[in-house]
Amino acid sequence: MQSSGNKFVGLWQKLFGDPIRAFGVVSVLFLISLAIAPAKNRFSEWGHYQKGYVRLIRGRGEAVTLQRHFQSGIQQIWLPDLGVVDRCTTCHVGQKEASLIDVSTQPFRRHPVIPHTSEQMGCVICHRGQGPATTVEEAHRSTLAWEQPILPARYIESSCGQCHRAPLTGTPQLNEGHRLLTRYGCVHCHTVKQPDGNSLKATDDPPSLSHIADKTTRQWVFAWLKDPQAYAASATMPNFKLSDNDARDISAFLIANSTPIPDDTASNSSPAQKAAPDPTAGASLYGESFCASCHAVQNAAGNVVGGDVGPELTRIGTKAKPEWLQAWIRNPRIYDPGTEMPHYRFTDQQAAVLTGFLQAKADPDLLANVHLDAATPEQIAHGKTLVTEFGCASCHEISGIKKPENFAPELTRIGSKPSKQPRAFGAGLKMPQYSFNPAQIDALTTQLLSFTDRAQSVPNSLAVAATPASNYQPAGKAGQLMNDLACFSCHAINGRGGNMAPDLTWEGSSVQRKWLEDFLRNPNTLRPALIRRMPKFNLTNEEISTLSDYIMTVYQTPAFERDSMPESGYSSAQVEQGRQLFYSKYACQSCHIVDPKADKGYIGPTLTQVGARLNAAWIYHWMKNPQALRPGTGEPNRNMSDDDARGLTAFMMSQKGSGKQEAKK
Amino acid sequence: MAKTATEYFDNLRESRIWRSIFRSGSGSSTLHRSLAIQQNIFLHLFSTKVRRRMLNLSATWYLGTLTFGTFLILVVTGILLMLYYHPSVPQAYADTKDLQFVVSSGLFLRNLHRWSAHAMVFLVFAHMFKVFYRGAYRPPREFNWVIGVILLLVTLLLSYTGYLLPWDQLAFWAITVGSNIASAVPLLGNKIHFMLLGGNLVNANALLRFYVLHCMILPLAAMFLIGIHFWRIRKDGGLYAHQSEPATVRAKAMAKQAQ
Amino acid sequence: MTDPNNPKDFVTGVDSNAKREPRRVVFVTRRTSPQVKVADEPVVQTFPEVLFRALVAIEVLAIALVWMALLFNAPLEGIADPSHTPNPAKAPWYFLGLQEMLHYFPPVVAGVLVPGLVVMALIVIPYFNINIEAEGLFLKGRARRLRIFYVVIVALSVFLFVFHVIVALVPTLIVAAFMVVAAQSSPQSPSAFRRYLASKPLSYWIMTWFLIELAVLTGVGTFFRGPGWAWVWPWKS
Repeated sequence: MQSSGNKFVGLWQKLFGDPIRAFGVVSVLFLISLAIAPAKNRFSEWGHYQKGYVRLIRGRGEAVTLQRHFQSGIQQIWLPDLGVVDRCTTCHVGQKEASLIDVSTQPFRRHPVIPHTSEQMGCVICHRGQGPATTVEEAHRSTLAWEQPILPARYIESSCGQCHRAPLTGTPQLNEGHRLLTRYGCVHCHTVKQPDGNSLKATDDPPSLSHIADKTTRQWVFAWLKDPQAYAASATMPNFKLSDNDARDISAFLIANSTPIPDDTASNSSPAQKAAPDPTAGASLYGESFCASCHAVQNAAGNVVGGDVGPELTRIGTKAKPEWLQAWIRNPRIYDPGTEMPHYRFTDQQAAVLTGFLQAKADPDLLANVHLDAATPEQIAHGKTLVTEFGCASCHEISGIKKPENFAPELTRIGSKPSKQPRAFGAGLKMPQYSFNPAQIDALTTQLLSFTDRAQSVPNSLAVAATPASNYQPAGKAGQLMNDLACFSCHAINGRGGNMAPDLTWEGSSVQRKWLEDFLRNPNTLRPALIRRMPKFNLTNEEISTLSDYIMTVYQTPAFERDSMPESGYSSAQVEQGRQLFYSKYACQSCHIVDPKADKGYIGPTLTQVGARLNAAWIYHWMKNPQALRPGTGEPNRNMSDDDARGLTAFMMSQKGSGKQEAKK
Repeated sequence: MAKTATEYFDNLRESRIWRSIFRSGSGSSTLHRSLAIQQNIFLHLFSTKVRRRMLNLSATWYLGTLTFGTFLILVVTGILLMLYYHPSVPQAYADTKDLQFVVSSGLFLRNLHRWSAHAMVFLVFAHMFKVFYRGAYRPPREFNWVIGVILLLVTLLLSYTGYLLPWDQLAFWAITVGSNIASAVPLLGNKIHFMLLGGNLVNANALLRFYVLHCMILPLAAMFLIGIHFWRIRKDGGLYAHQSEPATVRAKAMAKQAQ
Repeated sequence: MTDPNNPKDFVTGVDSNAKREPRRVVFVTRRTSPQVKVADEPVVQTFPEVLFRALVAIEVLAIALVWMALLFNAPLEGIADPSHTPNPAKAPWYFLGLQEMLHYFPPVVAGVLVPGLVVMALIVIPYFNINIEAEGLFLKGRARRLRIFYVVIVALSVFLFVFHVIVALVPTLIVAAFMVVAAQSSPQSPSAFRRYLASKPLSYWIMTWFLIELAVLTGVGTFFRGPGWAWVWPWKS
């Protein structure tokens, strides 16, 4: 013990007794410490992975090729325009090697084929994470210095949305997210600015509440406020989880605040209303008028069947007052001038039948437990406070309450929000409860994650803008008529309108006037595979001629002259040549039907009467290049010669209806 | 073994080349050792002899020496870091990232620079308080104390200007907060703030200005003042020996007078 | 103080007898070249004794710093973003004492007046004779000085209390308590600690107070301040 202590003291003396010697000893220690950092470079993480890759490819058949492609050392993709410095390929060495399809271990997995190359875009634009990093932790996970972790693969479509604002065919989840965001009115409260400076517009149409007392009862308003989905499973209105008292006060305020519209309910002629509802007549009128194209009804199995343009009608009888409903059916524009509902020209009798039919769609249970005493002024005042607090006026027009500005947090850059969770939004105090399913939530998340800082600063060369919303409005009397009939609810013209029915932008060049008039008078479908959708509006002859005049003169394509081809007078040789081309060379019968007995094509429109429907010049140019006339059409471009196109036009023009065709034959 | 090494070293010191550089030559005489200090441009700032008790750790805690040590580390690492750094926005941040991810030992260099800078600020304060409690500011050392106070300010400015250079959130807001204090100066506040940042906001101009201050002006000022600081130690009579106990000294003197 | 029996010898050095104008005095006789004999105290050669000790000290520090650099990464956050203010936005640690004061006082006081006065006070320390004499604060004119002391300390405490600067008030009161003890002590006190306190001059007390305040304010600013500069406990969350 003693000797070892002495030994230690001796050693200490030997090493540190003299300052010069101590300096020598400490210098050695210092140099060793200093050498550790450079030595650590030899054991870098990426070096480890590159060695692993070399080991992986050594045993493979195509080792020589892979070896030639492999470059050791730090690799990077540098795109100054995009601000991209991505060193991901340092470890993800084999991402471009198609032959590594069987390798499933990261970081050596091959990248699936996508429309962009990594040289063009880098990695982090889509995958996020920290591109310049050369360690696994720093590159993939969120740190103090980098708030964006790697994007989970299930939200990867959101990255497409940073540049591509218009829907893409390959990104169903993103497209659905975009649809939900606008359809469910998220953007009424939350602003989402597009890089072009415009804000995202909602596609839903929340009704005005200024005249709600005309339409429904306070009891129904109360039940609806408590749980909108109890009334209609497909309701877009979210559940605000109101207490009974709050719902009572809001309903009191809304009813008290409502002002009646003259001519709305009062003018209802009583005799029609008294007519006994005839269920079969109502159902058939409901079907004939194609109400189901826009309105859904929940069937016995619980499925909601029908369109989602208008509200669900499963329990409409519980909601709407009969006199209001009848007035609405007769002319919805009196109550709501901007509605997407067409103004059918129903007779009073028809309106009464339909009202009776709809009134029968009632659910007495809904209001069974709703007992409201008369509203007190305090309740009405409190209701007004609540309406302001919950921002009801963000979506609904309510007289006396201004639409709040910036009611909810802006979401323009939500996708770059510092957050370790991809789900960036938590349920705020005022955020109501939507009834989204998990897939819809993922879709919405995907859409929201595309609203990043980068999306705001994408170079113009890369941004693919959405087609700007058009506010096209046809002029004159025909324009008023088209609004009244709500043509734009289903048809698109010059970029405005729905996509339920064909685009009518060049309709005047496309069809023959007689056919158009007949069609407006009594529509029938063109395509056997689709249900007929065009309702019969009971238009007067004057209205039909106004509409036809307008369509035939205004909706003309500049691509060709309407009268450049004759409508008739083709030689039988030409027709026969066309028939040969139709059946043999181009095999058009695989999609179209000319002879209903023999042909089985159900994809394209039936052509038995095409000669009476379409303009010859349109057919000719359609044959030459269908996409030039209607972008996105399914008709293939066959690069026909002029002769072939002319022959087929002749054949088509000869199809004026089955009777005539038979006769000619 | 050790002996032979010493011999080799002595032979080396007697060689013509060595003698042309270091005039003092080998030998352990007091003269030789004094010459080794006096004939060296850097060491001649110091006195050739030091009171033995000043070597005790408790006398000075070597705080001045250690402060100078951190300064040396900072100069060396700082020059190496300058090789990888552009004082521009946003390249400065990217360069800091590159130091971390691709430069060999870059992260180590930055770490060492950062920790040494903190250590230097701490040591400068510690040195000042130690000197005060020892009473070493007393005449004839008053001016060296003043230089020390100025060096304290220069050190703080060096650290403060360096704080902005990584151009991260921490840097940006620390400098924003710090520079806003300057705005509080009556009358001239906004002018001083503008002059400090080269603008009204912390932006690329401020970065460039801080870079020049951090890498040129302040280090040169510090070196100049450190030179004077060291030289004045010798000129003012060496390291102050009485450890903050002038009362005792005076008591002794009075006792002597009484005799 | 020269020895008359031996005219060749001089005694010189730093002496605290010089009350008004302290200076170094050298006596030179005609027969000798200028030569200084310092009070007989053992000395060592700077080279190599001091120089290498200094180098060893520097190297030990360097080793410590190198290991620190190897083990702990310097902080780095996201790129500077003027539109996104972190809460709290903190200055470098050595300015957090200042920032803590800014929390209590208007910027002119905390940001300009106080630091300016501190720097001025530091610079003038060696130019005041009271600092050079360094007598125990309460050894002379004890009653009068005690009165002044009480007035100053009460004024300072009230001032700090009015501004709710509790973190600065506590160290102030502690230092004041020690000063009161010092006032009740003398060089003849039986306790060594009391003799020690009694011998401390005014500058010592002020500097000690400043040191403690500096440490406390900086510590509070660094560890105990959270979002909105509100008080947080570092061990919670």
